[in-house]
Amino acid sequence: MPEATDRPAAKAGSAPPATLNHALAGAGTERAALGDLRARARSAYEHLELPTWRRSGFWTTSLDQLDIDALEVRSHPAQSSAPAFLNDQRSAGVLVQRDGSVVYTQLDPALAERGVLLCSLEQAAREHSELFERYYMRRLTLDRHKLEAASAAFWSGGAFLYVPPGLQVPEPFQIVYEISTGATAQYAHTLAIGDRGSDLRLREYGLAEPIDGDALHAGQFELYLEDGARCRLAQLVDWGPGAVHDVSTSIVEVARDGWCHWLPALLGGSLVHHHDELVIAGPGGDMAFRGLFFTDAHEHLDVFAVDLHETGPSGGDVHWRGAASGESRASFEGLIQINPGAQQSHTYLQFHSMLLSAQARLDAIPSVLVSADDVSASHGGTVGELDEDLIFYMQTRGLTRPQAVRVIVDGFFEPLIVQLDDPHLERLIRDRIGAKLANAAAEIERYALAR
Amino acid sequence: MAELEIRNLHVRTEEREILRGVDLSVRTGELHALLGPNGSGKSTLANTIMGHPSYEVTEGQILFDGQEINELSTHERAKLGLFLAFQYPVAVPGVSVANFLRMALNAQREEPIKVKEFGEQLGHAVELLDVDRAFTSRHLNDGFSGGEKKRAEILQMAMLRPQIAVLDETDSGLDIDALRTVAEGVAKLHAEQGLGALIITHYQRILDHVRPQFVHILIDGRIVMRGGPELVERLEREGYDPIREEVAASA
Repeated sequence: MPEATDRPAAKAGSAPPATLNHALAGAGTERAALGDLRARARSAYEHLELPTWRRSGFWTTSLDQLDIDALEVRSHPAQSSAPAFLNDQRSAGVLVQRDGSVVYTQLDPALAERGVLLCSLEQAAREHSELFERYYMRRLTLDRHKLEAASAAFWSGGAFLYVPPGLQVPEPFQIVYEISTGATAQYAHTLAIGDRGSDLRLREYGLAEPIDGDALHAGQFELYLEDGARCRLAQLVDWGPGAVHDVSTSIVEVARDGWCHWLPALLGGSLVHHHDELVIAGPGGDMAFRGLFFTDAHEHLDVFAVDLHETGPSGGDVHWRGAASGESRASFEGLIQINPGAQQSHTYLQFHSMLLSAQARLDAIPSVLVSADDVSASHGGTVGELDEDLIFYMQTRGLTRPQAVRVIVDGFFEPLIVQLDDPHLERLIRDRIGAKLANAAAEIERYALAR
Repeated sequence: MAELEIRNLHVRTEEREILRGVDLSVRTGELHALLGPNGSGKSTLANTIMGHPSYEVTEGQILFDGQEINELSTHERAKLGLFLAFQYPVAVPGVSVANFLRMALNAQREEPIKVKEFGEQLGHAVELLDVDRAFTSRHLNDGFSGGEKKRAEILQMAMLRPQIAVLDETDSGLDIDALRTVAEGVAKLHAEQGLGALIITHYQRILDHVRPQFVHILIDGRIVMRGGPELVERLEREGYDPIREEVAASA
């Protein structure tokens, strides 16, 4: 079984670390028409086998159980309303893709008048070809592994967002990918651009019904923030209890004096492999890269988070938190990379974990690759279990054990959740964490008794 | 009127037997002090009253209003009206003092407390105990000084309005100002809410600020002497050794 190459090369000095940008250099940087890119991706797809990622030397993320040929891309007709969970808040615009089709698009007319574009990526390729060709796949690769190639070759629907220079949009843009049925493949692609000096909020959701049978979400996400642009980006992934396999790559590029606050919340999926990479590409660029996850039952989660500084001065602050219950497995690999010449880059990576069951595994692998001398880059973290003294303390105040555990787990995630600065999304995430805890209550109880 | 009664209580941990037949009764409105040297079993008694899982009752009974509560879980004991102020309160990260108080109050009620009612109760409690209201928006015990932690314990006690509170060396490690705050807080809750309290202490100095009616001396897992406030004065003068000798001679 070939191993996918999203990790730094094992031998020092042999090959450059395989972050997306280096991989892209290998793939060639010329901009080709969409048809050419699809053809190249298709050829890669046909030659590559399903990927396996080795984690911690102990376990692997493997898709060899997935019968990809049995999955179909399904089409759906347009619908007339947004998903109910978005109804109780204001949005700048909403785009919904169900399985293989964009079924709903809505954009605030006042924003459309000012030049904001929100449409399917298919439509953007036809109607906004100049923007499309300037940005599409600028940072993403298409041949590191079979599912990436599949996504680049076969994506349908897709989301395209463009916010013109200087425009500030306080309400969020919301992009929803839904999987509605089993035996489905969803090849998703979001391309978003915040032009010079713009300010936006963007949310991407990955959601599924409780499906029967296997499903695949092979997603690619790219966000480009031009000079001075600012964005709060959140991704909420909750594929529910069905057998959804999610192999996705997201990349955010921050140009000169740009800023991004990015929080992926990975809260459900039977197998989730995410490569999330934030690139500071211009001097003065700054970011806060947050993330949280909570795995339960037999879920399998594998995150590779990259904080890449191509130029300095630049700032970075990476802070992830993860909890695992049941017999789930989760791995967080965090990489800080400071390229040659990126002087005066300052960044910090921290990861905190909480183990809620003796059968769960949770690994953290931080690494730092620095090729400049006037920089600071370091990492830290904590490993935690449920604190029985704390539980007893709360019980003496009348809280039941499950209530006390909920307080502890909420408190564990709260430092990240409050930073979202978005009550609606905060509530969605807290509710989801609460539901996962309720599922895991019996195991958590057993774990406590066993200790 | 509630009563906490302890009858012939024997308690052990995995390692050894710690309490060897304790009898004690505390009623609403009564202030009791339990004094004893290090290792005599004071904290074991406090934790056992609340049902800490590390302590096993091998003999005897804990009763609340005449009903045995040996088998009740900790949160059920709290709901009956028992409270433990901890010697070393632990931090509750990410939860403000006010939010924690609201959760604890709601745990005891059928309907969640209304925002206005909660605000009024909290306002009254911080005023009574002379606590800064801003204090209640900090994360509970997270980065608190020793004095702040104990103040937070007393504030929780004021809000939860227990019938009987056990204060486990709440006075240890406090400077004189913090000690006075804690002692005055207990005295006020005793006066205003009719709180009954078992004040467990290693030192005598908290008893300069709150006058117990009943004083018990615990040595080697047994209450060896009972009396009134005069017993505190004697201890202060003589220490535990003469009492030990006296007990040994009469045994």
